[in-house]
Amino acid sequence: MQRLLDKGLEELTTMVVKMGKDAEKAVAISLRGFLESKDTSNDVHEISEILVGNTVEVEEKAFSLIAKYQPVASDLRIINSYMKVAYDFERYGRYAWDISFISTRFNGHSTCDEWVFEYIEKMAEKVLQMVTTSINSLRSLDVELVKKMTKTEQGVDDMYLEFLGKLVKTAGVTNECTVSSTLVVRYLERIADHATHIMEAVVYIATGEKVTLR
Amino acid sequence: MKANFGKVQVLKGINLSFPENQVTAIMGPSGCGKTTLIRCLNRIHELTPNAKVEGEVLLDGVNIYSPQVDPVAIRRRIGMVFQKANPFPTMSIFENTIAGLKLAGVRNKETLDQVAERSLRMAFLWDEVKDDLKKSGVDLSGGQQQRLCIARALAVEPEIILMDEPCSALDPIATAKIEESIVELKKEFTIIIVTHNMQQAARVSDFTAFMYLGNLIEFDTTSEVFENPKSELTEKYITGKFG
Repeated sequence: MQRLLDKGLEELTTMVVKMGKDAEKAVAISLRGFLESKDTSNDVHEISEILVGNTVEVEEKAFSLIAKYQPVASDLRIINSYMKVAYDFERYGRYAWDISFISTRFNGHSTCDEWVFEYIEKMAEKVLQMVTTSINSLRSLDVELVKKMTKTEQGVDDMYLEFLGKLVKTAGVTNECTVSSTLVVRYLERIADHATHIMEAVVYIATGEKVTLR
Repeated sequence: MKANFGKVQVLKGINLSFPENQVTAIMGPSGCGKTTLIRCLNRIHELTPNAKVEGEVLLDGVNIYSPQVDPVAIRRRIGMVFQKANPFPTMSIFENTIAGLKLAGVRNKETLDQVAERSLRMAFLWDEVKDDLKKSGVDLSGGQQQRLCIARALAVEPEIILMDEPCSALDPIATAKIEESIVELKKEFTIIIVTHNMQQAARVSDFTAFMYLGNLIEFDTTSEVFENPKSELTEKYITGKFG
């Protein structure tokens, strides 16, 4: 027999999964916009605002379930993790908007040398892979999939620092390129951090183990 | 430890240590043996006809079931509070509180007065009854009667207090008062509480034991049991997915 709590948990899961899809879309659109020098800031901003509202809704729903049913064990771990994951999705949206905004404001990478473009494209690929994995693993609670991503997160961090070092040493980079590319790689690095938080939450939901994957 | 009622084995081999000055909650579905377990801990189980206990209960390293041990002395060291408040109906609040001491032969009025006040204070009842000590114990509310029974158990200065569903007949406010007193009392006593109410176990206990069909399934810190139980059976029970 279905418990009264189960219906609420199903609703909460649906809300969080939808947020995941929207958040992934926002990141993908903003990165494509940056790499193709297209203005996507309005579209991404709209998704980002929806995600902000959804975070509040998830929090309210989670509070209501806690107050009504006093969940424990795996039920409590799911609710607690969903609240955190909703915030991580909100941050995906916000950083995606930041990328598209900066890209438009400083005319993207148009004044950058080819190597900057290629570097950010490579980093973006890794980050998008992490975003997609974080969302898929949240649906499947696949702990093995999550653990495989640890190296990718480290790779993104290394790329971020390497990029900054390279940028500082390279002569003739325009101010526009320096500002926009630095901010974009910083936002990518932050998105990867949030993807890691989500994957840590997946391990916690599935096993009760509190791990640090960074 | 194993325990039987006639041929029916209700405890099938329990091995468990209760940490000192901590609250340990024992939970499990009806018939799992939790009440029998605590009744074995102060040798009340053996008072039931056909009841049998096998094994040892060690208190300060001494088996309380060894032939040299006086069960009455054990019951003074390990007090008990029952599911239903049971003040002696013909006695006043004061007389109820010191009933155990009087049975033990204490007659000094000053001592009895001091013990009564101290015990009622520890049970968080003193402020509510200090001007009515001569009033009958059964004239108190249900929650106050239960706290009177706790005071009565405390008066003989036990080391351990066993509580068998002490709040099952009480409203939420009376329950909260008993729970607050349990948390305070652990500073001086070791408390073992049987409860059906999982939220109560989560609120008041430091350790939780989960029993099922006469077996101990899981024993761990309460936070671990309620956040990340190791046994699937525990998980199912506490999340209401049982059966």
